[in-house]
Amino acid sequence: MDAIKDFFNFFADPRVFFLLTLTGFILMIWRRDVFTTPRVGYGLQVFLVLFFGLGLFDENFRLIVAKPDNVPIVGLVFLLLFFTWYSMRQAVLNDRRLDRGEPVEEKVEEDRVWVWPDLVYTELICLVLCSVVLIVWSIVLKAPLEQPANAAATPNPSKAPWYFLGLQEMLVYFDPWLAGVVLPTLIIVGLMAIPYIDTNPKGSGYYTFKERKAEISIFIFGFVVLWASLIVLGTFLRGPNWNFFGPFEYWDIHKLEALTNVNLSEYIWLQGVGVGLPSNWFVREFFGIVLLLLYIVALPVILARGVLKTYYEKLGPPRYCVGIFLFLMMLSLPMKMLARWLFNLKYIVAIPEFFFNI
Amino acid sequence: MADKKTVGHAYNIDFLNVVFAASSIFLFVSVLWMVWDDYDRGWKNYQRRFVQLEAEVTRVGLEAASANVDAVVLEQLRADRSTAEAELAIQEEQTVALEDELADIDAQLTLAVQRHNFAKATYDVNKYSFEVDREGDPESYTDQQVEIAAQYDEWLELGLEVERLTAERDGLRGQLAEIRRGVTGLDDQIDALTSETSRLEGRLVDLAPNFIEDYLLNAPLIDFLAPSLKVQQIITPNIFDELNFTRVPKIDRCTTCHLAIDREGYEEYPQPFTTHPNLDVYVGSASPHPLETTGCTVCHEGMPQSVSFRDASHTPSTEEQTHDWEDSYDWAESHLWDYPMLPRGMAEASCAKCHVEEVHIPEADVLNLSYGLYERAGCYACHKTTGFEGLRKPGPSLMKIKAKLTPEWVADWIRDPRRVKPTTWMPRVWYNSNTSSPEDVRRSEAEIDATVAYLFANSEDHEFAVPVPPRGDSAEGQAIVESVGCLGCHVAGDETRLGAGPRRTFGQALQNIGSKTTYEWVFDWVRNPQHYSELTYMPDLRLTDREAADVTAYLMTLGGGDPRAAEATYDQAFSDSVLLDYLRAIVPTAEANAMMAGMSSDERTLELGERVIGRYGCFSCHDIDGFEGAQPVGTELSEEGTKLLAQLDFSFLDIPHTKIDWFENKLHDPRVYDQNRVLQPLEKLRMPDYGFNSEEVQLLTTALMSFQRSVQPAAALMPGSARQDALRLGRALVRRRNCIACHQVENDGGDYRTLVADPSLAPPLLTPEGAKVKPDWLYAFFKGPITIRPWLDVRMPTFTLTDQHWNQVLDYFGAISNTIGEFRAHTIVSSRGGSVATGSELFDLLRCQQCHVLDEIPADQPTENLAPDLRMTPERLQADWIIDWLRDPQSIQPGTRMPAYWPDFPEAFYPQFDQDGEQQVRSIRDHLLTFSGGPRPVEPVVEAGDEP
Repeated sequence: MDAIKDFFNFFADPRVFFLLTLTGFILMIWRRDVFTTPRVGYGLQVFLVLFFGLGLFDENFRLIVAKPDNVPIVGLVFLLLFFTWYSMRQAVLNDRRLDRGEPVEEKVEEDRVWVWPDLVYTELICLVLCSVVLIVWSIVLKAPLEQPANAAATPNPSKAPWYFLGLQEMLVYFDPWLAGVVLPTLIIVGLMAIPYIDTNPKGSGYYTFKERKAEISIFIFGFVVLWASLIVLGTFLRGPNWNFFGPFEYWDIHKLEALTNVNLSEYIWLQGVGVGLPSNWFVREFFGIVLLLLYIVALPVILARGVLKTYYEKLGPPRYCVGIFLFLMMLSLPMKMLARWLFNLKYIVAIPEFFFNI
Repeated sequence: MADKKTVGHAYNIDFLNVVFAASSIFLFVSVLWMVWDDYDRGWKNYQRRFVQLEAEVTRVGLEAASANVDAVVLEQLRADRSTAEAELAIQEEQTVALEDELADIDAQLTLAVQRHNFAKATYDVNKYSFEVDREGDPESYTDQQVEIAAQYDEWLELGLEVERLTAERDGLRGQLAEIRRGVTGLDDQIDALTSETSRLEGRLVDLAPNFIEDYLLNAPLIDFLAPSLKVQQIITPNIFDELNFTRVPKIDRCTTCHLAIDREGYEEYPQPFTTHPNLDVYVGSASPHPLETTGCTVCHEGMPQSVSFRDASHTPSTEEQTHDWEDSYDWAESHLWDYPMLPRGMAEASCAKCHVEEVHIPEADVLNLSYGLYERAGCYACHKTTGFEGLRKPGPSLMKIKAKLTPEWVADWIRDPRRVKPTTWMPRVWYNSNTSSPEDVRRSEAEIDATVAYLFANSEDHEFAVPVPPRGDSAEGQAIVESVGCLGCHVAGDETRLGAGPRRTFGQALQNIGSKTTYEWVFDWVRNPQHYSELTYMPDLRLTDREAADVTAYLMTLGGGDPRAAEATYDQAFSDSVLLDYLRAIVPTAEANAMMAGMSSDERTLELGERVIGRYGCFSCHDIDGFEGAQPVGTELSEEGTKLLAQLDFSFLDIPHTKIDWFENKLHDPRVYDQNRVLQPLEKLRMPDYGFNSEEVQLLTTALMSFQRSVQPAAALMPGSARQDALRLGRALVRRRNCIACHQVENDGGDYRTLVADPSLAPPLLTPEGAKVKPDWLYAFFKGPITIRPWLDVRMPTFTLTDQHWNQVLDYFGAISNTIGEFRAHTIVSSRGGSVATGSELFDLLRCQQCHVLDEIPADQPTENLAPDLRMTPERLQADWIIDWLRDPQSIQPGTRMPAYWPDFPEAFYPQFDQDGEQQVRSIRDHLLTFSGGPRPVEPVVEAGDEP
């Protein structure tokens, strides 16, 4: 039993966890025909039920998972998996119909809308069942109230509301002004910009993957891998001192992690060139700034001329620029995470002189 | 989508019907569940049960009350009433007529009053409207003015009508009452006789089951209207809860279940129905802490608003109780409230919240004892604590250690002090749980030797006052030690530390003193302690050289002890490596090496000694040369009781995570939290081990829990006054100088009584001292004590208190009797007055001299009957007090042997002054005040040039 627990604890390491979700994501896109079979769908739900159900026998697991604050996140895991699976399944089925030259399922019975009694009745049933769930929930799980707040003894870990845990996770890798201000703004701006960038009319009103491969992949990556899985990670796996804990691990407040992080400039000047850090910030951070400019300015140009040429031509320069900028910003999160895990990289550009750290 | 499609439907409607039916049933059941869950509360069951208990208790009370009613008298009264009623029946016609008339008048009066009120209301309205109109146009409203005047007159007339009818009605009532007087008078008598029984009967009726009140109004969903089962709460306006960002008045809901906490008669019932065990001091309405203003949780702690057993943060006091509660109440440690209830026996820790900085709080025996231990163990020396500042260092000065001890003895001693003196308060610094590995033991030996070397190298010389002391007789010496009072402060036999108590372990234990030091030193010390150590608290017992020699001879026979031997050896290189550790903690390694290279090996040892003393804080308790002004080494404990759990490191110890458990484990083994940790020698915990037993640990934990951050507002505290200040300072002082080891004051102390065959052989009680003796006489007595009770062997020593402190003592006695700062007439009595002559007569009649010393000790009297020399009276006693004392000695000093000669004061058995007790007492007092020639306090010898 302990071996199984250790096994899962191992996978809960943030590096492994992230690689795992990333692999899962790639597998899901790549082998979507297998992923969307009912057998896999049921299999995954059964696995989750078994995992949470059997896991509850472990005291540490129970403390975290059954905590009234965290119960909705358990529900989120099941629902997220189901809806991802369901939408992919519908898309795959439609793609097959399209391959056979048939119309998509949504277009087959376009002339009918089943409102009465089908829609109204099922809505009523849903209303009743949701009321039951809410009533039973409120009886069984006590409101998670705690002792009076104390500025001298804040909770450890101090967690954001669950929907902000992705943001809080970003704070580990980025300076607060980036993770707390710039990136969230870009997320909102980006979501607003998407309809204007993505003008592809296909997939409107029906499920399909084939016709919108890039759009759906980017969305699932951004939402499921970067956002939802970071919420799950922040809820279940981040413990005291914001350290990582396996799902079956005791949240020991004394657990330590060796966190000695190094700036890019220190790598280059101290380890690479072998001299001291230049005193002028611009000289010191020159390489970081160049790297940054390469990433934001040069890379889109190179891509437009190479791999993404067709996109560039299809979208036109303004749409391409905005789209690729948002895309690169999104990718900066996993890249920074990787750089932190692999090289203990703290900042690419670190100019504490005026609080500019990237 | 749906698999089963019919022509017009996406779903199978029959199936949906089933789903709908099932979900509706679920909804119905869950709503019922919700209602029940909301209704079903544990406290309601306690309240239901209590109704039965109250009925039981009321029934018992009713029986007792009925037994108290004189049945014969009651029967007679009832019979009389029947007779009176029969007499009344004769006048029935008249009565009925009067009653009819009265009813008529009453109706008229009601109407008249109504008319009167209407008239007034109309008049007021019109008057106001006229005032407003006239302000707009002062000229043109004369009509209105006339109308208002008429309305006013009408109102007056109606008033007259009301007055007339009222008078008429009162007249009729008077007539009726007169007719019925016989019956009503008897009714009043019967009521007076049966008031208690009828009250209890009424209560029983209220308590009897009643469908509407007990069931209907308490039913689910209706119980918001006027339920009989409801949450009880006490809001304390002057006592606050600290909610970190704000302070709010406490809302204590404890009485929701603890229903009889302030009611007598429930002592035998189990919790939560039992009565508070000390209603005189707490909770009782006449106590200083009534329930309505004090509440519960300010003392007991816990979550005041909660009415569930677990969330109220009940704390079990034993392991057995823990298991019991886990089974019965699903109890678990509540982590949602920072201040869980104090376990039974520790509630007195909360006294200090309002009794701020008081070392002794009357009635708080547990807390007083725990403060006594805290002080005696010298905790305050390393741990700064509010209320314990400015105290002397608890250990003896080591500035002249060379003259007193040998290095070998000191090494043996500090290795394990309790092996040498079982009752000592000196803790064990080395050989503890986190320094027991062979490496640690070697290190300890190196540190011990270096410490000893430092102490002896930095010791001053001391010249004995008598270089060659006379030899004494140890048997004589033993008799002196056991009689003059040494044992009030020193333990000599094999008593335990807590058994002897904090007061009798005030001075160093005398156990095994013979093998500790030399005859010369002991003689020098006993003869005059100040000669060796100016600041010692040891008083001078005014022993002659001969007596001092005897005492010394006896003390030198107290040998023995089983010191712990060194358990490891080490070489210079090892001791150097230890020193290097210490130095590297303050300077870079290279510098540390350079420092060491510049020292000889002796210098290195002394350097190590200095570092070790600095690390373990030996200087906190002992004066050590080179550490003047060093800061204490421990954590400040002034607010330790309110420290948050998160600030305590439980390390790898598997104990319940509560503050009390942390303190208790820490006190049992101060190094326990180093268990299983990898630590460099200088990272280890360093608090020494006192070998506290469980009881001591419990008491010290109580003291720690009492050190609270001040939360309560001034209105909750004792009102400040000069008297309160004098009490607070005095109580601290008489404890810190250990006066109360020998004297009982305010029902505390007087341990010396346990050492003598009879209480009359112990030093006197001092509670009434302030009212009794004259302050200037007492001051002189403090400075130069004399024998007041010649039959006592124990003697008042000469203390070296400053005048400021003596004044505190005097103020304290004054404050106890509330005679502080009073000017009093000097009563000068002429010996020729008639009163004195009668006094003398009575003095002989009452045979005062049979017990009181008058120059000579009365013969053939047991010691418990003897009383002080009356010749001292004019100089010593307060004239007023003598009168109070003669009148009623028991009220001043319960248990005194002084007879009460005027038990029915002011009536008297004696013929003088026409049996007027007042004058008799006064005459005896006057007679006493003519005495003279008794012993007088010795004037202290003041050297020329010294401060007087």
